[in-house]
Amino acid sequence: MATQLIDQFAKNLAPDTKAAVYDGSKKGHEKRTQLLFDTYADPNRLREIAGEIKQHVIENLDTYLPAVEAKLQANGVKVHWAATGDDACAAVRDIMQARGLRKIVKAKTMVSEEIELEHYLNKHGIETLETDLGEFIVQIDHDHPSHIVKPIIHKNRREIAQSFEREGLGAYNDDPATITARARQFLRHKYLAADVALTGANFVSVESGRLVIVTNEGNSRFCLAATKCHIALVGIEKLVPNDRDLGLLLNLLGRSATAQQLTVYTEFVSGPKSATQPDGPEEMHVIFVDNGRTDVLASDCRDILRCIRCGACLNVCPVYRQASGHAYRSVYPGPVGAVLSPLLAGKKFPEFADLPKASSLCGACHEVCPVNIPIPDLLLRLREKGKREGAPLAAAGTPPMGAWAVLASQPAAWKVALFGGKILNFLPTNLIPVPALRAWEAKRTLPEWRGGEFRAWFKNRPKP
Amino acid sequence: MDLAHRKLPGADKRVQLMATCICDAFYADVARATVEVLEYLGCRVEFPEGQTCCGQPAFNGGDWPNSRKVVRHTVRTFAGELPVVLPSGSCAAMMFHGALLEFEQEADLPAVQQLASRTWELADFIVNGLGVKSWPGKLDATIAFHRACHTRGTGSGDAALGLLSSIAGLKVAPFGEGEQCCGFGGTFSVSFPNVSAGMGELKLEHIRAAQPDFLVSGDMSCMMHLGGLAEKEGKPIRTQHFVQVLRDALKNGGLL
Amino acid sequence: MSTSREQIMGRVQAALAPLPQRAARPDWDRDLVILRQAHGLTDPWPLFAERLKAVNGTPLTSVTELVALLGKNNWKHGYCDPALWPQLSGAFPSGFTVETTYDRTRVDDYAFGLTAAAGAIAETGTLILTDNGTSSRLGALAPWVHIAVLHRNQIHHDIPSAVAALPADPNIIWVTGPSKTADVEGILIEGVHGPGRQVALLVD
Repeated sequence: MATQLIDQFAKNLAPDTKAAVYDGSKKGHEKRTQLLFDTYADPNRLREIAGEIKQHVIENLDTYLPAVEAKLQANGVKVHWAATGDDACAAVRDIMQARGLRKIVKAKTMVSEEIELEHYLNKHGIETLETDLGEFIVQIDHDHPSHIVKPIIHKNRREIAQSFEREGLGAYNDDPATITARARQFLRHKYLAADVALTGANFVSVESGRLVIVTNEGNSRFCLAATKCHIALVGIEKLVPNDRDLGLLLNLLGRSATAQQLTVYTEFVSGPKSATQPDGPEEMHVIFVDNGRTDVLASDCRDILRCIRCGACLNVCPVYRQASGHAYRSVYPGPVGAVLSPLLAGKKFPEFADLPKASSLCGACHEVCPVNIPIPDLLLRLREKGKREGAPLAAAGTPPMGAWAVLASQPAAWKVALFGGKILNFLPTNLIPVPALRAWEAKRTLPEWRGGEFRAWFKNRPKP
Repeated sequence: MDLAHRKLPGADKRVQLMATCICDAFYADVARATVEVLEYLGCRVEFPEGQTCCGQPAFNGGDWPNSRKVVRHTVRTFAGELPVVLPSGSCAAMMFHGALLEFEQEADLPAVQQLASRTWELADFIVNGLGVKSWPGKLDATIAFHRACHTRGTGSGDAALGLLSSIAGLKVAPFGEGEQCCGFGGTFSVSFPNVSAGMGELKLEHIRAAQPDFLVSGDMSCMMHLGGLAEKEGKPIRTQHFVQVLRDALKNGGLL
Repeated sequence: MSTSREQIMGRVQAALAPLPQRAARPDWDRDLVILRQAHGLTDPWPLFAERLKAVNGTPLTSVTELVALLGKNNWKHGYCDPALWPQLSGAFPSGFTVETTYDRTRVDDYAFGLTAAAGAIAETGTLILTDNGTSSRLGALAPWVHIAVLHRNQIHHDIPSAVAALPADPNIIWVTGPSKTADVEGILIEGVHGPGRQVALLVD
């Protein structure tokens, strides 16, 4: 029987990669839990409130988007809108070409991955360089990130050392400190030679128009200290009503993503640099990107737009731990990706219709989500959509339920089946042409069939 | 739904038992132990003969029209006002959570809500419905207790663990990554057999390290998966439902 | 052809129109997110220093200590905010080269950068820099050592207080310890793009 693509990927995953992903995510999850419960009496209450704040935002985007636009413009920021990924890429190109700018240093942004910005800009003669260490390694390897927060969780130091050697960054040395020092030395000169800093934003406060950008490495800060033009790509769902709410969300983001009270660099950017400051952008652009988000907003899965991209659901997910991020074939892996990727795919939904199946529905993702997204419920809704629309990928390996439904709504037939099932105890199961049974038995034994025994006992026993 | 507002048992302690299809088909003794334990606690147990399944397999598979057919049958079968008790967190969660999700847009949602509001997972019912906090009898054994995932965020896991821990002679051995899923996941177990088995093997590794005499849970589906995996590997482990442990403790203590 | 802006606004409105009601904005108590130890502080410096050390930062309370640290590690060439240098220069013996203009063409020359903090947060060990208060973004970032000069009365007790006091400044950055990464096999390495040593120097 055909099993699911993610299952096949997991089966073929190199043991080294599997171990790296498993250990990395397990460690991340354990540290997060310890920090949250060490600090707060009731972490769950915080997750609920944060979820309510973000739900309020996405359900009021019709007022918040024009409001934040006005605020940003008042702050001296040029605001652009991009309905599609291509529109967003074109907006970046237009800003640069109009000013004769050619070199971008990029701090990690998920939106840029989503719209395949690098590929587009390179075609138009614009050079882009990733500055987050993990993303830099992904770039020189022509690879894809496999985790939202830890892009190279799937690589080990030996592979990285080989890549550095190949790229002329020094003789083979797999000491992480040496790898990091070499990247530091190489990249700082690149920042200083670049024209444009391209970043995302973790949050945008409607009240003040402040973009909040967090990094641990300081690469976003270096981009914004060395270049003269700042372009920020921001998904339309990234808003928060006011600065005060940042106090809560920043606390949760750092703890959920990397088990830190605060990420090392938390930057609040509300416009071009001040007149007295020698370093930094004289021009600032914000491109608000839709690229499928309004379709998600119109769906019954809009809660996923609360997501703050912390990666906690990946770390805790037993399926992600077995399969790794690349199994999800999309920018957003893990539980959040299993919801978001099929939705953002729009008309290409059938190509990702299997992702929502990649869950035992254990609910661990919901339990850790800092904005309390009921991920299992959303996965179930998407399974229903996949089934309703007849997506073949969604159907692979799932037993058909029609006959079962007939049986399970007719008690007389059900009782017959309960007794009839005893045949399982006598017949070699490889003679029974039920694919689900074969798939079960490939990995496990089946217990003895005892259909009807309880009913008979209950009926015939002396009444109490 | 908010589980705090469920219908409590009346003075006559009449309850309806939803035995679940897996006990109906494979684990007759779990259903029997459920009756014996509830009756020991003074309950009058009714078993609606027409019951089949909670509807979860099709619900999880995305086939909601077929799932709703079965849920409607279940709603009709369990008509009335009595608390409905299930020896399964997973099937109970289907009734008080999953069914509500798939009936959101349906005209007969109120009937499903009515059933949801009187649905109890067994340990939750014993501890939070009947107010029984500790368990009499005795049993000399070391067990490992697997918290089934569908009772996350409910009182069931703590309720079962509290009862088991209170039994004289019984030791509950903790094991690593106790919160992890066993990998069963319904149809997931056959559409993702490798991931499912991989998850189960990790679970078994942790459990074996704790060297329990047997493995206990509130969901026989998890036990069927883990027990089946262990046996296939040639290293079988004994599995039981916690209600069998409760019943055996009573018998062993001469109380039943 | 409608513009992207019109398309997005139109789709947002169409998506939200069918909602019977919109989720309300919750109110929340600031005490919920504050570290237990940050309640009822009188002097915030000890907590700040403890938290800064917890993220591998270095709290110092005298210029002499700073000069000793720099000298011991042979960090002799640095940048200093021109407004701070007159009050600090007396403590630096000969052998140190300190420039008060940061020359970006010689980024590898500077071992340390000394700039003014605009504030700090005790519960997290965070230093706050602003565009109007920091003489050079690069000077505070590119050298291996960054020293932020801080006054006791600038220290906020907790994050909510610091957020409430965010100044009208186009660029504010909260720095919580040295620059770091765990991208390679989850192993913590400090000093990726920013400082490998983050110092807070208390001057009263």
